Amino acid sequence: MITSPEQLAEYRAKCRSAQTLLRPRLLVGMATCGLASGAAKVFAALREEAALRGVDIDIVATGCKGACFLEPLIDAVIPGKARVTYAGVTVEDVPDLLDAVLAGAVYAKRALARETAECLLIEDCAEPYPADANLEGVPAYDAVPFFHGQLHLAMRNCGYLDPTSIDEYIARGGYAAAARALTTMTPEQIIEAIKTSGLRGRGGGGFPTGRKWESCRKAHGTPKYVVCNADEGDPGAYMDRSILESDPHSVLEGMIIGSFAVGANQGFIYVREEYPLAVERLRHAITQAEELGLLGTNIFDTGHDFTLRINRGAGAFVCGESTALMASLEGRVGEPRAKYIHTVESGLWGKPSCLNNVETWNNVPVVIQRGAEWFAGIGTEGSKGTKVFSLVGKVRHVGLVEVPMGMTLRAVIEGIGGGVPEGRQLKAIQTGGPSGGCIPAEYLDSPVDFESLSSLGSMMGSGGVIVMDDRTCMVDVARYFLAFLKDESCGKCVPCREGTGRMLDILTAICEGRGEPGDIEILRDLATVMSEASLCGLGTSAANPVLTTLQYFADEYQAHIADHTCPAKVCRALLRYSILTEACTGCAACAKVCPVNAISGERKSPHVIDETACIKCGQCYEICRFSAIEVA
Amino acid sequence: MSGTTTGEKVTFTLNGRQVTAEPGETVLSVARRLDVHIPTLCFHESVSSYGACRLCLVEVFWGKRSKLVTSCLYIPYPDDRIETDNARIHGVRKLVLELLLARSPHVEAIRELAREYCVEVPRFRPSAVTADATRCVLCDLCVRVCAEVVGQSAIGYAGRGSERVITVPFGEQAEECIGCGACVFICPTQALSYEDIAGQRLMKELNTSVPLVACRVCGEHFATEKQLAKLRERITMPDELVDVCPRCRGTEFTRVLDEALVTKPRV
Repeated sequence: MITSPEQLAEYRAKCRSAQTLLRPRLLVGMATCGLASGAAKVFAALREEAALRGVDIDIVATGCKGACFLEPLIDAVIPGKARVTYAGVTVEDVPDLLDAVLAGAVYAKRALARETAECLLIEDCAEPYPADANLEGVPAYDAVPFFHGQLHLAMRNCGYLDPTSIDEYIARGGYAAAARALTTMTPEQIIEAIKTSGLRGRGGGGFPTGRKWESCRKAHGTPKYVVCNADEGDPGAYMDRSILESDPHSVLEGMIIGSFAVGANQGFIYVREEYPLAVERLRHAITQAEELGLLGTNIFDTGHDFTLRINRGAGAFVCGESTALMASLEGRVGEPRAKYIHTVESGLWGKPSCLNNVETWNNVPVVIQRGAEWFAGIGTEGSKGTKVFSLVGKVRHVGLVEVPMGMTLRAVIEGIGGGVPEGRQLKAIQTGGPSGGCIPAEYLDSPVDFESLSSLGSMMGSGGVIVMDDRTCMVDVARYFLAFLKDESCGKCVPCREGTGRMLDILTAICEGRGEPGDIEILRDLATVMSEASLCGLGTSAANPVLTTLQYFADEYQAHIADHTCPAKVCRALLRYSILTEACTGCAACAKVCPVNAISGERKSPHVIDETACIKCGQCYEICRFSAIEVA
Repeated sequence: MSGTTTGEKVTFTLNGRQVTAEPGETVLSVARRLDVHIPTLCFHESVSSYGACRLCLVEVFWGKRSKLVTSCLYIPYPDDRIETDNARIHGVRKLVLELLLARSPHVEAIRELAREYCVEVPRFRPSAVTADATRCVLCDLCVRVCAEVVGQSAIGYAGRGSERVITVPFGEQAEECIGCGACVFICPTQALSYEDIAGQRLMKELNTSVPLVACRVCGEHFATEKQLAKLRERITMPDELVDVCPRCRGTEFTRVLDEALVTKPRV
């Protein structure tokens, strides 16, 4: 049991000395992204090989460093040497990698970068990595484009520790912020610090966290509750999952501090059932924290009690909305209610409840440990600190990216992301999930922060960034998001339930060439009313994908409706396949591959496509070696 | 602080008039009291407010800012300036009604409201994704009356969004349903109905039938067994009057009273 900051410091020293490296250590990235890339096989092969050779080496599973496109990632830490990250490691690499590590050398084939300094909350927690002549050929972290300019605060421990070990978390300075907050600060001082830091909600709304805590503390009624919203659901966004899988204790620590500040003794983590690994890691972390007395009664001998429970969501997107989440937590239908009385005053079971997102809770220890002013020194005027973005879509480096707020979209997408793949043009960037919007390429130099994205008609949201190239049809994109929202609308209020369906009908018709001149006006009318009259955030923002694409890509809508063409050549019903007689050699490859026998012709003479039979599958286009298939 | 937490009367402006709300009173309630018309579909004074139909939206002004709120739920703050009808509100109600009319073209209550807002024919094309000409607009009144007034909670929802429907558990004969018909009575769109046949009350849309009881005096079926059992629990009525139909109850009451007087004469 740890009952004082001194005991925590002692415990930390013990954990660190236990970890002080006497033998090499390999950390395999085994979050969901790593596992999907085959990390489990590599991990097993490493252990098997090590056992076979009877060598003394630690092989542990760690979380995700964010470079998902380079998985499986392995970090090698050798006593007296710098830390080296290896990327794209396969089972075949295992014997050679092990040879190199055991010899204290570098396995050059897969070496990605070397670590020079780590971002830690407590400075004395890591020996600086020694200079190593062997490593001259390996670039430093910051010299790798994907990591250049990144600042890992929320992801401070991701990929550096074994997420199932509280000892490793404590060894890296974990729970020191909780100790400091509970034993040396009053709840009011903590709230003041959070306010000064400028921390804003990372889940989508961007509400100032300190103000939320203050309202909850001042609200009448007991008991009070703190809740962690881990119902991450935006298509393409997965930073919360990664944090929970890679560093669960950071969220627990933030919640302990928050519970003390607002005066709550019970907390809930609402996490989606589709994140089984995150649930497992959280459950394990809670048990460990309870064993050490960091959760439970009389934490740090301050008289503060705090217990945490996990609730699993059954997969409704709308349950990410605070009131729907609380209804679901109470065991009722997960649908929102009007928030004329805020949840900080009347939330869970009608009691004052403070709900924050995973990344927000995770940032709290950083603010306490490093200080509010230090935190406020990062970012822009209105948006402080860093934000984790999930960079996905038509971009070369797909992964989680954590940068100071205010970095330009260009630096994120072209610098860190490496731009769109060779030969393609950047067309738009979709931010903020289904409720966000599409920003055209000409705004690439806009900074990424709450205000700038809103002024462009989009939003920060939970940090999803989907990059789109010139082969993306913006009407089709709007249709995709509306289909998602229509499926996820809870169905309680009329504008959202009926409106999303009607919008989807219209967008589908436009994509299928049945668009009519009046459709745009109906879309705009629906958008206005949905945003003004819907009950919750899902409905009020549901029209954003349509509004932003209409604003920036009106000509594409016009092409679909007036000319019955899809400029990006995506909407299948609007495409026409034909064979260029002069280019066709009559090889018949297309006729062979056509699944509906719509292509005919004499051998060695030009073929023709029967348009009435053509199902526009595009296989002839793919197979033709003479560019004789024309798509219009 | 909101009038809800202070427990005091709140003075605010409604359509340019200074008015006072009782502690915790909603804008809709104040408006109805003062004969100010606000259309509603999912509101009924016997049950809690739900805020789903969005027809009762009104506009609240605070200085230069304003917001649309559902008057059935919004409890005014002191100095709120509230308008119950203007161009913005009219536009919203009109489109909400257009959406409702497209969903439920056969419901007279909707058609009438729609006409009030000059909506005759919805502009939408036949839908591939939204419910097809259903009478139910998912106003939740049946769910609330069953839970809050009857105390049975036999009705709930299945599905989500456009797939959402009113149902009893698993859509099968519901033990919780007592066949009282409160849901049928409260439904503003006649989406629910029942029929008494062969000694059973068939709750048609709820796929449930409940045995009926014959009046001890006239022999006519007048209520269900479960309904009477519930009555026995909830009200203090001489036991021998419960299984008598309302029409016979008056004469039966006199008879029972007389008998009592005869058997226990006053001294």
